[in-house]
Amino acid sequence: MIDSEFDRRDFLKVLGWGGAAVALSGCGNTSIEDGKETIVSYVQAKDYVIPGVAVYFNSTCAQCDAGCSITGKIREGRVLKLEGNPESPINKGRLCGLGQASVQHHYNPDRVREPLLRQGDKGEAISWEKAYGLINEKLSGVKGEEIAFITGDVSGHQKVLLGNYMDSLGSKNHFVYEAAAPAVVRAANLKAYGVEMPRYRIDKAKVVLSFGADFLGTWVSPVHFAQQYAAFRKGVDGQRGVLIQAESKMTLTGANADRWLAVRPGTEGILALGIINALGIATGDVAQLVKDYDKARVSRDTGVEPSHIDKIAAILRLRSPSLVLAGSAAEGYVHGMQNAEAINLLNYVLGNVGKTIESPVSVPFPQLAPSKGNTASLKRLNDDLAAGKYKVLFNIATNPVFTAPASYKFGDSMAKAGFKVAFAHYLDETALQADLVLPLDSEMEDWGTHVPEYLTETAQINIQQPLMERLHANTRGMGDILLALVKQRKPEEYKAFDDYYGYLRGAMLQNKGALGGAEKDDDNFWNDTLSNGIVKLSGPSSALSGKADVAGLKLPAPREADKEYPLRLIASVTSNLRDGRHTNQPWIQESPDPLTTIVWDSWIEMHPKKAAELGIVEGDIVKVTSRTGSISAQVYVFPGIHPEAVSIPIGRGHEAMGRYAKGYGVNPFSIMDSVFESTTGELAMHETNVNIAKTGQRVIVVKDEGPVGGKQMGARIAVSRSTDQVDLSKEV
Amino acid sequence: MHRYLRFPAMLACFLMAVTCHAATDQPLTTEDALGPQIQQPIEFPHYRHAGNRNPVDPTNSDPTKGGMEINCQYCHTYARRSLTAGIPPLQKCIGCHQNIPTVRDKPRIVELFKYWDAKKAIPWKKVHDLPDFVRFNHERHIKRFIEQQGRPVQEVCGYCHGQVKEMTTARRQKPITMGWCRSCHMKDHVVVVANKDGIPEGGTPLGKQDYWYTFQKPAEKRNAAGELTAKGPNDCWLCHK
Ligand code: SF4
Repeated sequence: MIDSEFDRRDFLKVLGWGGAAVALSGCGNTSIEDGKETIVSYVQAKDYVIPGVAVYFNSTCAQCDAGCSITGKIREGRVLKLEGNPESPINKGRLCGLGQASVQHHYNPDRVREPLLRQGDKGEAISWEKAYGLINEKLSGVKGEEIAFITGDVSGHQKVLLGNYMDSLGSKNHFVYEAAAPAVVRAANLKAYGVEMPRYRIDKAKVVLSFGADFLGTWVSPVHFAQQYAAFRKGVDGQRGVLIQAESKMTLTGANADRWLAVRPGTEGILALGIINALGIATGDVAQLVKDYDKARVSRDTGVEPSHIDKIAAILRLRSPSLVLAGSAAEGYVHGMQNAEAINLLNYVLGNVGKTIESPVSVPFPQLAPSKGNTASLKRLNDDLAAGKYKVLFNIATNPVFTAPASYKFGDSMAKAGFKVAFAHYLDETALQADLVLPLDSEMEDWGTHVPEYLTETAQINIQQPLMERLHANTRGMGDILLALVKQRKPEEYKAFDDYYGYLRGAMLQNKGALGGAEKDDDNFWNDTLSNGIVKLSGPSSALSGKADVAGLKLPAPREADKEYPLRLIASVTSNLRDGRHTNQPWIQESPDPLTTIVWDSWIEMHPKKAAELGIVEGDIVKVTSRTGSISAQVYVFPGIHPEAVSIPIGRGHEAMGRYAKGYGVNPFSIMDSVFESTTGELAMHETNVNIAKTGQRVIVVKDEGPVGGKQMGARIAVSRSTDQVDLSKEV
Repeated sequence: MHRYLRFPAMLACFLMAVTCHAATDQPLTTEDALGPQIQQPIEFPHYRHAGNRNPVDPTNSDPTKGGMEINCQYCHTYARRSLTAGIPPLQKCIGCHQNIPTVRDKPRIVELFKYWDAKKAIPWKKVHDLPDFVRFNHERHIKRFIEQQGRPVQEVCGYCHGQVKEMTTARRQKPITMGWCRSCHMKDHVVVVANKDGIPEGGTPLGKQDYWYTFQKPAEKRNAAGELTAKGPNDCWLCHK
């Protein structure tokens, strides 16, 4: 009998199929949610609004200071996706991953939604009227010099309004702070070329020699440079551009280079002088300066083989124009300025200045140009705060408690200010220490104008406009807040402006002629401005005025190995994380680091030789100790780093800032020593020395690449459990 | 029976059962599968707006007997322009009703104006819902049936939405399942092809295709009635993007 011989497994197989058939026909009469969902139609619809059909608005990406222009896709009043605006000469229709992720900033569930007033450990939700009243009250009787402002790079009309508010308070203490800005290079450029940021023409160069400038990933205006790079690789006169990258830790740009050179940390300047020497075309002062930098010595100091120095010199002689870039890897030392100057000198020797280093355009309205700043200004603020100089501190969306080196004890210094107001999107480490937290609109809900620091073909003012209505009723735009505050001081002067939008429109219309709208009537001009998202201007270009100046250029010998702390810590900036202000966007956490493919966690990059010497393998948890402190993280063994250095990316290790940032990874700022660049006073980010100790723990590194990853998937990780229940650290 | 035969034997039986089932009539577009009666915030009388006129009452004075034969697309204006049909904005209702004083004091209209005065959207309940992984494109169907084939609007909308013109608030009448969609897509439809000079005899063949875009290739031979037929679009991605 067939029946008696059926065994259970066969039966189940067939039943399974039959079951599937039943299930399929079963869905026959069940429409999913008939009568449950509400469809809300418009009360009054604009003509161009058709449900299901997207409309597009132009605005500006606010994730970093490069100032790329964006086009937002909006459906049914919701912004869904961003693309680059093709009309912008900066990004020409492209956008980086960080820019793409900014919708997750806008929709982030951890945004602050109400003004919060500190009551002990808690924040009490209060009204805006009360918040403004409180600020007014706290400012009364406080002298201008007792009030300080800390902001990130700020430009456009917001800068003007902030300046006016500060004037009305009599305060001159505006501290501009960007944790990962190329401040030392700016200073060196100013000396060498007469401008802080010349216009770099990677696309015109036949050879690019970059000293740690990660121009494809993080440096200055990465989307713009990536497009120049594409042209450079296609070649000028049929010669494909050659990229040589010299740095101690491989960056995304380094990984794309034709030749990657691991330089001993801090010896970038020596290598530059060595190359000048090997070129043999320098004369006068320069020749005098480099005469001692012969191949043997340079090779000994930098760890770069003599044959490589010869080859670099040969190709630079052969192909002109070239372009030499000084990047963040060169500037992070006590002698960072000297490094950058030596590197810039190379451009003079090669005759690149004026060819691939051009004079930049500038915006004809200097009052709108960006205020820039870096760690030196944070240091000053910290010292002032520690000395108890300020009674009221305004923090506009910066997070120094997270990005100041632990040795500053910024949190403690900040506590000395009597009343601390944080304008914030999230309760990040700094906002948590404030007395009053005022919730900001996201960049997709707010008005604004921005002038990027790095301009390209033309000068431009970028327009930021709301892509959709406010998600939360009680957030406000920074411009509106500043306007309300300045009205407290000068009600007469500002009474004509109901809101920041009105102010902005008025200010732009006032200069309509200069903004290229002389022939248009007001409404036309304004509508065109908004629909373009950019106002292009023919700005004057400030001529390059510097010269090859060798006076005072003296590079120190490479550092002797420190017995107790033998390794250099390179706190690296990665293209996803940058300075960590966007770590709470899950796409950023989730997208693999371009070089290591690691996600959702920090890692310590270590050269295989060093790892073998210390008996460390990938996934070992090690303790990294500096003079300031110690942190523990997983090791990633990586040949793209100098054996005398280890690297930890900045941006992770948040202790606050919401569910997607808090508790993931470690923060290298927490062990960074306070060592400063000697000329500019900026923090020398690569001057921290560390030692490494095994902790005995080992984990599986969660990453995308390599055969180990595959093996982990198949063989090791318990497949029977759902991923949220697997503790990878226990699965080894 | 030998063990190794057992499973194939069962499989064969199963397949036979399945094919037998398939050979019997598939549900066609006429099949009714009445959905739940859904309570709406305002009991909108479709029959009054879209229903047929009462031939013996040309002035439409008796609201219980005749409709006004308003084209579905007059209110559901988005359907021909977008994949979602949308719900008409409140403004649309008011646009007419502020000029119809005779019904102004009727309870439903009073209710309607309350929403309008408060500038609040009416929270209609969804009657025809598809799972999130299905994209039904209204625009495409309207282009095909109404614009290109010139079929009557109410008939075309009715293929999926049933006899809305006879309903008060709409109620689902068709199953709206994948099998049901396919029952239409898999039928042989008469298609317009290019004539022997390559000039299309109507329709909008794209490029060199002489059959409807995304339609399956037409049959080799004309059928008994001399028509060329093709089955409807059959690509998964058309609906599951
Ligand atoms: S580089 Fe990226 S993050 Fe910065 S502005 Fe451009 S798109 Fe935005």
